[in-house]
Amino acid sequence: MEISRELDKLLKQVEKPARYIGGEVNAVHKEQARLRFGFAFPDTYEIGMSYMGLQLLYHILNQQEDIFCERVFAPAMDMEALMRKEGMELFTLETKTPVKELDLLGFTLQYELSFTNVINMLDLGSIPVFSDQRGEEDPVILAGGPCAYNPEPLADIIDVFLIGDGEELLPEVVKRRRKDQTKEAYLKEICTIPGVYVPRFYQPCYQEDGTIAEIQKVWAGAPDRVERALIKDLDAADFPVDLIVPFIEVVHDRAVVETFRGCTRGCRFCQAGMIYRPVRERKPETIRKIAEQQLAKTGHEELSLLSLSTSDHSQFEELALDLMSMCKEKNVSLSLPSLRLDSFSFRVLEEIQGYKKSGLTFAPEAGSQRLRDVINKGITEDDIYSAVRQALELGWNHVKLYFMVGLPGETFEDLDGIAKIAKTIKEINYEVKGRKGGRFNVTVSVSNFVPKAHTPFQWQAQDSAESFMKKHDYLTNQLSVKGITFNYHDTGTSELEAVFARGDRRVGKVLVRAFELGCKFDGWSEHFNGKLWAQAFADTGVDPDFYTVRQRSYDEILPWDFIDPFVTKDFLIRENEKALKGDITQDCRIQCAGCGMSRKADCLPEGEK
Amino acid sequence: MSQYAIKFSKEGYICYTSHLDLLRLFKRAFKKAGIRLSYSQGFNPHPKMGFAQPLSLGYVSVGEYLEFETDKAYDPGELKDLISAQMPEGIRIFSCESMGGQKRSLASRNHAAEYIIGMPMGRELGREEVETLCCDFLAQESILVLKKQKKSGKTKEVDIRGKIQSLNFLAAGENLLITGLLDSGSQSNLSPELLIAAIATFLGVSLDRSEVGVMRTKLFFE
Repeated sequence: MEISRELDKLLKQVEKPARYIGGEVNAVHKEQARLRFGFAFPDTYEIGMSYMGLQLLYHILNQQEDIFCERVFAPAMDMEALMRKEGMELFTLETKTPVKELDLLGFTLQYELSFTNVINMLDLGSIPVFSDQRGEEDPVILAGGPCAYNPEPLADIIDVFLIGDGEELLPEVVKRRRKDQTKEAYLKEICTIPGVYVPRFYQPCYQEDGTIAEIQKVWAGAPDRVERALIKDLDAADFPVDLIVPFIEVVHDRAVVETFRGCTRGCRFCQAGMIYRPVRERKPETIRKIAEQQLAKTGHEELSLLSLSTSDHSQFEELALDLMSMCKEKNVSLSLPSLRLDSFSFRVLEEIQGYKKSGLTFAPEAGSQRLRDVINKGITEDDIYSAVRQALELGWNHVKLYFMVGLPGETFEDLDGIAKIAKTIKEINYEVKGRKGGRFNVTVSVSNFVPKAHTPFQWQAQDSAESFMKKHDYLTNQLSVKGITFNYHDTGTSELEAVFARGDRRVGKVLVRAFELGCKFDGWSEHFNGKLWAQAFADTGVDPDFYTVRQRSYDEILPWDFIDPFVTKDFLIRENEKALKGDITQDCRIQCAGCGMSRKADCLPEGEK
Repeated sequence: MSQYAIKFSKEGYICYTSHLDLLRLFKRAFKKAGIRLSYSQGFNPHPKMGFAQPLSLGYVSVGEYLEFETDKAYDPGELKDLISAQMPEGIRIFSCESMGGQKRSLASRNHAAEYIIGMPMGRELGREEVETLCCDFLAQESILVLKKQKKSGKTKEVDIRGKIQSLNFLAAGENLLITGLLDSGSQSNLSPELLIAAIATFLGVSLDRSEVGVMRTKLFFE
């Protein structure tokens, strides 16, 4: 079927047809290339195009003369239905080529709840879902991104996982592909590159109780452990300036520069804080140069910075002041997400936001100091209250608070603490503005703790659904107060996320069954269907409780143990033990916590801040 | 203050971008090209630019106009080149003219638009047959179609006969090519969609809308 001829007819019938047309400013076209690669984002165009990693890897791959990288997104429900009805296969945006004609197709795994979309996209592309059913003519299927740090749920589907930083690893892996070589030969050749995991070369065996007995190598040439790929010098690493500018509005429609990768704070629940170590910064002058070029090449009217915690850049003040004056001169608005709210940040916010004061956001994550010590979240109530007081005085009138429930060792007193913080903030508003202080709102958003692989809490049980619901009800009661908005995350999706975050190879068949039953876009509350998922677990005989509410022991072989994130298991155990005692660990810029990272790379020297 | 208007096309896949998206595209293009647009005063300043007449999503056009105002004066030829260099595939800039001396905007002066509509008929039609059809269609005293009201969402019957300035049918294989000069602008406006519905009803064909193509060929100004 000639896609471009048929596509016109479909585009006249769907919502936001510009999602499927390509041809945006800075999109790449190549007449000829030795290898054709599809960068697949398993969600809609608007979400995928807001993801910096796509722009980064698209740019890097297309710089290689012999590679042509195109983009592929999950069509929205209406488009997919029409495509299936008309027999149109999933295609690339740039040239409308059916994905099955590509040499390689790489998925980025940003969240577990997009896994069914990966399967659905393969199916829509007429590519067999299981790797052992694909032939030599089918593309090599790759996957990377944070969820690849526990690749096992997709191990029977994906040919190659890429673990860690992709800037050097991805082009290296793609370039090694030769058409005169069998897939098997290719996989054997690349599996020794640090960061590459080829699941077919490993076979887990299970004990009677369902835990892993051992992971056997099927091919002796495969490495015992898979080290993550690491970019040591981020400042020297390539970063795109010719960003693709979408025609339609996407979630984040702006120029964006990654200022640093990694985080030193060591929150014990946070996977990003563990797997992206150590902190690697770009220099302020590099950041400025990239920002200027991006703005010149895109015409964007907003500039934003990307990192895990904006203010933690060692030269943040200098950087912020410099970018502020540059943006002012260019008539571009500057957006600084996740600022630590000290007096400098307030000065900056005053300057860049002017009268447009959006809400002020805090993430205390837990309601009591005891529990914040357990999770090593270094923020105190005094920090929050003094920042709120300052914000109110400067005219803010909306405060947003993020918490988690179901954290290890949580009690109802900790939940009381959540309500107490919200109410105290309301009181501060009265103090500052008087009883008739005008419009003021506190929003409390609660998500459900999902233990993640490679974190100190990877052995912890997740709360049961009953317990989550009891806690939600309890908080709903406590927070039914005028001026406080309370919302919480759906329990069903959090349980599902937990299954795949720590799942082994056996949960893959649940994913495929759920896909067959029609599950997709599970991260979208309007599309998530808990009943179908319950059926998928029942049909495949997989017990979700084994993955969610079960406490693991330190000597259990975890499905992701063979992946080496350079943070040692000893460190994770030490941190988990400290958590149980409520002992905190210092920010590792102040004191090295001995996570093991320094064996592999230079962490920022002590006291640099 | 200097005022200009560019004439451009919207062809190929880019016809699936909405007119708001197209405005954003031009806004960024001006920024990239270093052309400083004039901004409105007030709380929420926005650049002074706008289309002569918005084009529906999915319509192709070879005669669109964008008016804009700049703080400093440019040579229109230079503007044309600067803007052309920033355009994606599907948008050709035909001309750029200075609008200095014009008190009224193109948008307010637009009174008619010409469209070509391609409609699959499922069979070959003869030349005389289509000419007769066209005459008969126009000979109707009133042409009633159902129109969805913007605010209430309810449908209402409206008479479009008076808004059709001229009409011509042409047979092209199994397709009927309809050229229509329709009222356009703020005084009186006829959407080609209503004309398509009316013609389909008149011909007694059940139409798959996704197989009908519409191109705007010209806008007329007072």
